[in-house]
Amino acid sequence: MASEADVLDAIRSIAQSELEVERPVQPGDDLLADLGLDSLGLTVLAVGLENRFRVKLSQEDAVGVRTVEDLAKLVVRRSGASA
Amino acid sequence: MNAPSRLVGSTQPPPRHASLLEALGRAAEHPSGLTFVDASEAEETLSWSEVLARARATAGALRRLGVFPGDRVAIVLPTAPDFMDAFFGALLAGAVPVPLYPPVRLGRLEEYHRATARMLQLSGAVLVLTDGLIGRLLGQAVAAARPRLGCHRVSKLREAGDVPHEASVAPDALAVVQFSSGSTVDPKPVALSHANVMAQVETIRALMPVREGVRPLGVSWLPLYHDMGLIGCLVSAVAYPGPLVLLRPEQFLARPALWLRALSRHRGTVSAAPNFAYALCVRRIRAEELEGVDLSSWALALNGAESISAEVARRFVERFGPYGFDARALVPAYGLAEASLAVTFAPSRATLRTLSIDAHALAAEGQVRPGERTLVSVGRPVPGAEVEIRGESGEVVPARTVGRIHVRGPSVMVGYLGQPEATRAVLVDGWLDTGDLGFVAEGELVVSGRAKDVIILRGANHVPQEFEEALEGLEGVRTGCAVALGTIPQGAEGEVLVLLVELSPDPPADLADRIRTRVLERTGIRPHSVELLLPGTLPRTSSGKLRRREALRRWQTGTLTPPRKVRWLGLAGAMVKSAVALARAERDP
Repeated sequence: MASEADVLDAIRSIAQSELEVERPVQPGDDLLADLGLDSLGLTVLAVGLENRFRVKLSQEDAVGVRTVEDLAKLVVRRSGASA
Repeated sequence: MNAPSRLVGSTQPPPRHASLLEALGRAAEHPSGLTFVDASEAEETLSWSEVLARARATAGALRRLGVFPGDRVAIVLPTAPDFMDAFFGALLAGAVPVPLYPPVRLGRLEEYHRATARMLQLSGAVLVLTDGLIGRLLGQAVAAARPRLGCHRVSKLREAGDVPHEASVAPDALAVVQFSSGSTVDPKPVALSHANVMAQVETIRALMPVREGVRPLGVSWLPLYHDMGLIGCLVSAVAYPGPLVLLRPEQFLARPALWLRALSRHRGTVSAAPNFAYALCVRRIRAEELEGVDLSSWALALNGAESISAEVARRFVERFGPYGFDARALVPAYGLAEASLAVTFAPSRATLRTLSIDAHALAAEGQVRPGERTLVSVGRPVPGAEVEIRGESGEVVPARTVGRIHVRGPSVMVGYLGQPEATRAVLVDGWLDTGDLGFVAEGELVVSGRAKDVIILRGANHVPQEFEEALEGLEGVRTGCAVALGTIPQGAEGEVLVLLVELSPDPPADLADRIRTRVLERTGIRPHSVELLLPGTLPRTSSGKLRRREALRRWQTGTLTPPRKVRWLGLAGAMVKSAVALARAERDP
């Protein structure tokens, strides 16, 4: 099962190398307002996390996921459920 | 005097199949088929004969459920064998498949429900085919649209043990309905007959490059709810027939190298994508992902569905030339859903043919003069197609004069399904008004802009209202006084979204930022520029309707100025702050 720190690292790495986010990514960052992720950015991030942690994210997951931390917690929950 | 702007393609090759069903029947005798590639590059293959057998089983179940010939069947599925069962199953039941886009991960559900419900209603779908995962998300859309026969998992239907079925259809029967844009605002269901689609794929076949002893092999990550993926790749492979390797669009976006690696692994010869995909490859693929990759088999790399940047093409060739990519493979094309797909193809060339024109003269007078803006020629009409450039009163204009691009040919749609008025507005005597602007130069078509209010971002069409409505209720925005426009700034890789917004009294200082976040939240699109304007600045018709194209023209030519009578000292501060925000956003697009 993935730890929240693992997922945060992965989010940082995807943000930097794939999404060209230049600012340092903090857990409290809002995915839209702070990181400025558009639908392409969200897809790249979600699919990147799915592929790394072997989880499935869907559109309904958007409910209640606003920040980097929310997303990391979601991935941890999913990876626990599938393990 | 210049020659009139009329271009005629070579003779249309006679279609070899009267319908898609007949084409699938013939393909089943061919040893090739479909290969599905997943994120870890594991593959699953379905031969055409398996595709046919599975589709027959699905068609049997659809018939039992009460699907009749001519009924529309909506399909909401990812690129997977399930999609094939649904698409070809619906066709074999004599029905008309309507592929719709599946939900985006982490996207906004509310907007998705509304858009999907709207498209279900407009297409008159009697039934929705999906899978377990997506099915859970479709409840609201299905409840709102209430298709007569409900929503079903295609795998259950296929495995239900019904007597396999295969209808026969007339060539002029509807084959497929595709949406030209997928939002809640005014989506248009484009109705194509079997004859339309078969003519289009025959045309594409005639344009395939022939290399001695090499069989065409297609590779595609394009969405199957879009003309280029559905007709250009899937239906073309059926009709050819030949092998097609499919990747999921979202997997390509997450890791663009998967596309080029699949081309290399399978010795792919044909693959198409919009301009942004070529840019994405240059930007995001790392050298270590390309180890052992050989792109020398890629003979036709079509570039279409959005404006083409010569600079992106040049960088792609420079970057992937060392991996065997042949610059002559890169072929610009122009088309639209209403013409089934392709209207023109450029000839194969070592470098793209470009024209450097004066953007101001073009925008202000519709005249083509030498200047700084680079446009790419999209070539000549495909076999069977004719193109005319027409002026304001419908006359064919001389070469090098901008007008509306009109198209005629066997692939032009039957019409917008159930919308006779909208059909009459664009289709007269077999000629389709594309709503795009362009001109003819040296015997080839150059697309220079758009007369219709459509914004094309990353190959997807958006209507401006989608963005304008997102601003409703935002403090500081004058109600109903904002326009959304698409434009290509100098040096940009493609079209971007610009918002011109009139202010109401006492706007918040960070209004431009708030507008950006609101639009991003509601639409998933990040505006490139937000311009805040004094009230009354946007041009309107005499009846008070906003004139978007005129606003864009004035903005581009620097003549978008407020009426003299407006004097709001209080606004000055906000304007300065928003100008700062704008400058910041442009540095960090």
